[in-house]
Amino acid sequence: MASLLHSAARWLAYIGGALLVAVMLMSVASIVPRALGFQPIQGDFELAAIGSGVCIACFLPWSHLRGGNIIVDFFTTKLSVKSNQKLDAVGSWLLAICLAVIAWRTGVGTLSVRAGNEESMIMRLPIWWGYAGMLPGLALTAIAAAWTGWQSWLGNDVEHHTRKDA
Amino acid sequence: MTSLQVGGLLFVAMIALMALRVPIAIAMFVPGALGFAFLANEAALLNQLKGSVYGRLSLYDLSVIPLFLLMGQFATQGGLSRDLFRFGNAMLGHFKGGMAMAAVLACAAFGSVCGSSVATTATIGQAALPEMKRFGYSGRLSTATLAAGGTLGILIPPSVPLVIYAILTEQNIAKIFAAAFVPGIVAAIGYCIAIALYVRFVPNQAPELKRAAWAERKAAIVGVWPIGLIFCIVFGGIYGGFFSPTEGAAVGAASTFFAAILRRELNAEGVRRCFLGTAETTGMIFLIFVGADMMNGALALSQMPAKLSETITGLGWAPLVVISAILLFYVVLGCVMDELSMILLTIPVIFPTVMALAPQLGLSPTEMAIWFGILVLMVVEIGLIAPPVGLNVYVINSLAKDVPMSETYKGVMPFLASDFIRTTLILFFPGICLWLVSVLFK
Repeated sequence: MASLLHSAARWLAYIGGALLVAVMLMSVASIVPRALGFQPIQGDFELAAIGSGVCIACFLPWSHLRGGNIIVDFFTTKLSVKSNQKLDAVGSWLLAICLAVIAWRTGVGTLSVRAGNEESMIMRLPIWWGYAGMLPGLALTAIAAAWTGWQSWLGNDVEHHTRKDA
Repeated sequence: MTSLQVGGLLFVAMIALMALRVPIAIAMFVPGALGFAFLANEAALLNQLKGSVYGRLSLYDLSVIPLFLLMGQFATQGGLSRDLFRFGNAMLGHFKGGMAMAAVLACAAFGSVCGSSVATTATIGQAALPEMKRFGYSGRLSTATLAAGGTLGILIPPSVPLVIYAILTEQNIAKIFAAAFVPGIVAAIGYCIAIALYVRFVPNQAPELKRAAWAERKAAIVGVWPIGLIFCIVFGGIYGGFFSPTEGAAVGAASTFFAAILRRELNAEGVRRCFLGTAETTGMIFLIFVGADMMNGALALSQMPAKLSETITGLGWAPLVVISAILLFYVVLGCVMDELSMILLTIPVIFPTVMALAPQLGLSPTEMAIWFGILVLMVVEIGLIAPPVGLNVYVINSLAKDVPMSETYKGVMPFLASDFIRTTLILFFPGICLWLVSVLFK
């Protein structure tokens, strides 16, 4: 289970990285013709926005498994390791519930945006692609958080960052 | 319940959850969602959630964050930090404490391609710490210099906290970056002065080394010109009006990638590490965004920010007193809260109050927003190195395990003094940050 989750999250992060590189290359490609006075790609920023949205969702599970979700340990340093792990389990499960709700609502959003045939302003891209692209990342984060919660509850080591970069 | 009470209750619930080790993003999300459902109704909450996360994650202006983070990763994995430190050392190493100054210079330069303070501390730390130790610098001075120097990563553009501030307050990202340049240079100089004074008055902290030969200096310059060039392309392009900050970040990431490839420092394994590193920090930032959005949505429904602004304005305090009080509040809050969450959560609440002060200070709304943003960033920097929980101090101590953290905190004091002086200067002379903005955006 552990290795399956980690490799799924890692591969999703690679996909996200590849999308980010695609956004990067597209942005660079749109600057060059514009700088030379040619007609630029119209509405390229819409692709960049949707692409980076999907990319960020793909990053979420890996970030969670690497302990990327900051917690404050300032108030609980005096408690035993065991109590801290129980608290962490509850924290992870709360995160799992929130992400599951978000995934569910974004799924409902996907269907309604698709039914409404919503399109982006310039390129007329179907908006539901962006919604649908976020679902795997959101759902996997919920699953990963449920799993890390269970591991903390059992007293196994889970990666944590207490505070992270601003 | 009055709106101030509702708002207060949401804050208390959030702090309580945080104290119980609930991830910060969720400690904001849960009270926010419950408050939203209470103030409006459940149907409105469920409806809001259908599109709010999509809307936040796929905002064009926010795509600069993963791109700048990717750029920082390429710079980190590409081994550019070693050359930066070597360059600083060739130029400044012969002064007493010069190697520490070189580390500050390297941090400042690395900050020009990296928007995060932890990455700057860790990257330059890896290059500089062993050298400083080898030449007999004290552990206290070395670690403190790198912890403080790392904060230049977020002061010198690009800067992730400034992007977030600009988006929350609907300001132009390019303008706010411009406002950070001069304070960034002032900060680097201030840190060097702090080092010079420290090694003068405290004995046995730094050795005296001989001046580098010109040939050595020339060789060092060869190693760093790519960073200078990338910085000029990215910010020249943004301020020349050739591209948006997002496109600038894309160009920066692409050119840093090619620089790393040309130096033969980046292989497939390195690229994979870059992706995973970017994923980790990006996911962390955006999850906090989602939580803060929910909380701020509830706070906006409670009308607490507007009421707070009325209440504070009604006190009739002098504007600078109010601003100082807010900054002091941030320093205190920064002791228990992560700086990024602090910005995301408090700026929407406090911003109306701040903007109401603009006419009394004789500033335009834009100037006021930019100036306050730089002040907040100064306070964030202080929070990153100040006890009891300075994040950069943690980072550097994980690299230098032989130096006790209490030593680093002692060494950080002169840098903190320099931070306080600079913050006060900017508080009384907004021109320090606004001057360059007015020159670049006539």
